[in-house]
Formats: sequence, C-alpha cells, structure tokens
Amino acid sequence: MLNYIIRRLLYMLVTLVFVAIISFMLLDLTPGSYLDTEIARLRQAGGNMSDGQIEALKIRYGVNDPFPLKFGKWIVGVLQGDFGQSFEFSVPVSSLIWGRLAFSLILATSSIIFAWLISIPLGVYSATHRYTIPDYIITVLQFVGVAIPEFLIALVLMVVSASVFHADVGGLFSPAYVDAAWSGAKFVDFLKHVWIPIIVIGASSTAWLTRVMRANLLDVLNAQYVQTARAKGLGEGLVIWKHAVRNALHPLIMAAGGILPALISGEVIASIVLNLPTTGPLFINALIKKDTYLAVAFLLLLSVMLVVGNLLADLALAWVDPRIRLE
Amino acid sequence: MTALETDVRRRDGAANANDNLIEVKDLHVHFHTTLGVVRALNGVSFNIPRGRVLGIVGESGCGKSITGLSIMQLVARPGKIEGGEVLFKESGEQPVDILKLGRHSDAMHHIRGNSIGMIFQEPMTSLNPLFTVGKQIEEAVLLHQTQNHEEARRRAIDILDKVGMPNPQRIADSYPHQLSGGMRQRAMIAMALSCTPTLLIADEPTTALDVTTEAQILELMRDLQKEIGTSIMFITHNMGVVAQMCDEVAVMYLGKVVERATVDDIFYDPKHPYTISLLRSIPRLGGERHGRLDAIKGSVPDPYSTVTGCPFHPRCPSFMPGLCDTLVPAETRIESENLHTVRCHLHPGSTILGKFGSSGGVATTAPETMTGFAAPSNASEPMVIPGSGGGTVNNSAEPNLTSGDVDDGAAPRVNRTS
Repeated sequence: MLNYIIRRLLYMLVTLVFVAIISFMLLDLTPGSYLDTEIARLRQAGGNMSDGQIEALKIRYGVNDPFPLKFGKWIVGVLQGDFGQSFEFSVPVSSLIWGRLAFSLILATSSIIFAWLISIPLGVYSATHRYTIPDYIITVLQFVGVAIPEFLIALVLMVVSASVFHADVGGLFSPAYVDAAWSGAKFVDFLKHVWIPIIVIGASSTAWLTRVMRANLLDVLNAQYVQTARAKGLGEGLVIWKHAVRNALHPLIMAAGGILPALISGEVIASIVLNLPTTGPLFINALIKKDTYLAVAFLLLLSVMLVVGNLLADLALAWVDPRIRLE
Repeated sequence: MTALETDVRRRDGAANANDNLIEVKDLHVHFHTTLGVVRALNGVSFNIPRGRVLGIVGESGCGKSITGLSIMQLVARPGKIEGGEVLFKESGEQPVDILKLGRHSDAMHHIRGNSIGMIFQEPMTSLNPLFTVGKQIEEAVLLHQTQNHEEARRRAIDILDKVGMPNPQRIADSYPHQLSGGMRQRAMIAMALSCTPTLLIADEPTTALDVTTEAQILELMRDLQKEIGTSIMFITHNMGVVAQMCDEVAVMYLGKVVERATVDDIFYDPKHPYTISLLRSIPRLGGERHGRLDAIKGSVPDPYSTVTGCPFHPRCPSFMPGLCDTLVPAETRIESENLHTVRCHLHPGSTILGKFGSSGGVATTAPETMTGFAAPSNASEPMVIPGSGGGTVNNSAEPNLTSGDVDDGAAPRVNRTS
C-alpha cells in the first residue's frame, strides 16, 4: 500500500512537470503579450509611446526572451513560492490567488459532497424501484439537471430566494462582513450565502452521478454475490447497502476525482453570475488580458488540485476495494 | 462390475414415504415480460426425502434453477410465484408452507441461510469481492447462530477446515480474488453449510469447474452430506454427476416434472421418451469413434408460446398424433417400482380422457383403448449407459422410442463394452 502511494506521488510529480511546461508554452505561443494590450489601452487613452519606450519595456519584462529562459526563470521562482508579478494588478500573483483558490476549493468540495449526499440515495432508490413512478420522476429530474445550464439555475435560485425569502443573494458574504475578520457571525453569514453556489455548481454533477449510481447498482444487483447475500438470510436493506452499493461505488469515487475540472468550469459561470470571489472570474480575466503569470499560476494550481483529487480518489478506491489494494 | 455399477449403487431401504423434508406441490412461476408471459414453472410437484439427495435434471431453460430459487423465495422480478405450495418440515416442527411466508418476513430470513443453504453455479462471481471469505461466512453465522464475533470466527474457520481448505486461518483472511475457482466453490459450500442447514440447494455447483476439481467437489459434498445428514437438491444437466451424487432424480421439461424415480430406475429403466433421449445424448467411452452423437431433435420451444398437450410432443420420437398434442398426460405411477412416476401417454394411467389441459394428480384410470399404444414391449435390449464409461441397462421402452430418426450405426443399442 505504501509502495502504491509512493508510486502514485512520483507519477503525480511527472504529470505536474508536464502540465507546467505545456501550460506555460501554450500561453507563450499565443501572439502578443500583456504589453500589447497595455500599449493599445494607453494609446487609446491619448497617451503616446515611442518605439524606444516600448522596446525598453519589452526588455524590462523579458517579453522577447527565448522560451527556455523565460520558463527557467519562472519555474525557479515557482519552486520558491514566487509565481511572478501580475501585469494588470502590479502585485505578486501569490497575493491574488490563495484566498480565491481557497474559496474555489471549498465550493468544489462542498459541491461534490452535496452531489454524493443527494445522488447516492436517489440512485439507489431509483435502481431498487426500477420502472415505478418515482423512478420515472427521478429520471426526468436527472435529465433536467444535466441539461439545464448553470447560469440559469443560478438566476432562478437568486430570483426565488431574493423575492420569496427576501434573502441577500450574490457574493459569499453580506456587505457588512466582506472585509471583516473571521468570526462566528461571519461564518453564519457565509453559510447563508454559500448554499446557492453549492446547488448551482453541484446540480449537473448530482444529476449525472444519480444516473451513474442507478446504472451501476442495476448491474451489481444482477451479480451472483447479491443473490448469495440474500440466500444467506440477510435483510434486503443489508443486501443493498452492504453488499450491492459498496460494489457500485467505484465509478462515483472515480468521478469525484475527475469531476473537479467540470466543477471548476461550472464554477466560473456560476461565480460570474453570482459575483463570487473565487478563481473563475479572475482566471478568465487573466486569460483575456494576457496577464501571463497570473493565468499560468491558476492553470498550474488547478492542475495540482485535479491531480491531487485523482490521487485521493484512487486512495479511496483502494480503501474500498481489496482487489486494488492488494494488487 | 463396471464403473457405473459402482457409482449407481442400489441404495436399500427407501426413505419412509411420509418423511419428506420438502414437498413441492403444483408450483407455478410466471415471468411477466413486455413480450408476453413466460410460464417458467407449470405445475411442478416433487418431494425431497429427509437426508437424501434429489437430482433435478433437464436441458437449459426447463425451470431447474427457478425451482430452486422458488423454494428460497428468491425469484427476481419480473418472475412471480403464481401458485402452489412448498411444504417445509424441519424435524419436530409443524410443516410450514414457505410460499405463504412474506418474501422479506423474519420467518423467511430465518429459513434462508439457516435452514436452507444454497450454492450457485458460478464460484467466480458468487462471493462478494469486497469482503474476506471469513467475514462472509461469519456474516451468516452471526445472523443465525451466535452474537459472539469470536465464536463466529471460530466456526467459520472450523467449517473452512471441514471443506478441505489447507490453512483455514489464512483462507479466512483472504479475499475471493486470491482464491482459485475450486477454492471459491469450497468457500461457498462452507458458507452454505456454516449454519448446518437441513436442506442444501446446489444449483449446478460444478458446471463451471474443470473435471478434476469437479470430482473433488462432488466427493466433498457427498462426504459432508453423510456427515451432517443434510438433504441436497442437486440441480444439474450432467447425467454422470447424477449417477455419482443422487439417490433420486426428477427429470424436468418445460416447467414440469416429467419423470421421477430412484437413480437406478432412471438409468436402468427410464420411462419417459425425454429421459431416454437425455441419456442417449451423452458421449460415452467405448462408443463408436466417428459415429454421430444422438441429439434430441429440435430445441426447447420458444418460451412465449404455449405447447398444447404433452410439452415434449413436438420433439418426441414416439409422438402419437391426436393424443399427445391435445391431451396433457397426467402423472402416473409405475406399478412395479418404488416411487417411480412418469407423465407420458405411453404409460397406462397417464391418459385421462375428459381431463384435457389438466395437470397434476396421479391418474387412477387407464382406458383400455389407450393402453394399446403403450404396452411396453419387454424387448430388453441392453443399452450402454452414459456417463461413466460403460455398463448396461435394460431398456424396456418400446423399440420405436429409441430408433426415431437416428442413424442405425450410431444407435447405442448394442452393448459394446461388457
């Protein structure tokens, strides 16, 4: 088992090295740089810059350095915790991202937990009551959940909670608490706000996982060992939850690892609509403005989250299934 | 003495006719599918005497497994038990009609695993891959026998030892994927016997195993049966296995028991054309090398259709037009023999005029006009017995039963081995 974890950690490192190179290269390959955007903005505003000034800026920012040099400088910095400077905000990237990354992580994790809590019981019920009216209703809800775009759910939920419950919606905090230090009251306020984004971000994965759970459990229920468990005299509840569901969980655990990117992209839209202080909007903005170091930092850290998520999923899988553990 | 004669030992002292552990009466199971109703069991009746081994044989799709599952009330949707009785008599207790108990009732849970154990065909998939073998056996023991975990663990290891597992402690801590097919089937047997049930339903327990392992498993089951005194309902399509394992045999075709006799009578004196055909369709040692193997012509009818009259008539070599396709033969007793019943118009008593379409019940009237068709010819031609490499048997059925459309060169009527 320890071997397995060490091996997986090594794979993870290799993956991340490649991710770093590729993401940096991709951003470098796109024509232009933040300077072009900035110069265009300045010129539009009426300012004038001589070619000499531009050249001086380019040298200062190292825009025309060869790729290996640029990458080398950057990766050495990253290893020391320095992600470079944001062009747009003129502050170190690290001062911008950690807070937002934390919120993103909290939202993604809570959304997965939300999705699991809803989809497992629903999927189990749906599979054990196949072709009954509740099963059909759940199936229809699943399709709606998968098909409906996040921003629409976000808008509907905002409208409903604002007009029906007179709740303060949008953002993660009420205005009074945004800059306040963490306290009990602030946490309560946070909980009051966070449920909308959790539902919005988790809705489609909940629907999808319910579908997966149902299909898997139907397969497992046909397995011989389920019949064996019944023949032993176990009650139906134990047969389903102890013998069948545990065997049907694999894809759900795998999904939890792989679902992270989907959650992050879902989160981008939800965050823009709901005005959340998470990575999504800032990331999009950085990509549009060619704020290279900010964008590449996000790319790298989101990849780290994805790879770590996958590792955790694999460990959970090994914990559930002895066939993987004892390989 | 040939190998077969050692296998098919004549067992003396037939069990007391009243001492049946299980009596299945007129059992009907239907599957309601979108394509129509499949009548999987169509009035199955038989009994299992206490402490004996009953073989249930027949081709695929004739309802053997469903019969086993019905006794456990484990028939899955869309299957439904439509009627009949399964009387279960544990010694010293009042008979219980299992089918009257709720599928999920406590009484039913108490019977499953505790009073009736079951072994399935596929040892590779019949153990849960996520739990150790020991835990899976302990689960049954904890459920029925004791609350004490240490005691349960001890019993699990004991029973693993009893089924011939080397190093039972280690096996108990192994996961199913670490064991071979034969070992897993031993583990299954251990699990099924862990609560010393009075009945063991074995649904083709050796079909998926290679012959060496099969022989070991059969020997194990026979030894344990003797030791524990469990009755076994042994579902199989392998006549060789029947010869080795069973005391009595029920031959099933299309959801009905068509012949029921002791194992000796089934092999030495089969009455129903289907039984005879089954016996002849098995390859045998000493048979003609390049001769064609007898197959039963045709195949089991489409399950959605209903066959009128005798269910076997479309494939029967001795089909009598006007009789077999209109009148359902009743179960009739062969007078000269113990416990031998058959459903076939060739035998006096099966044909009951005026009872078209009826089933069940032992006929008492045998119209003279009909018996003319079926008088056994007493042509005691020896017939090579399948399954165990030779031996002879008196085939007292009519010659036209055995000829059919079979090429004469391959007809196994000439005894070539003894």
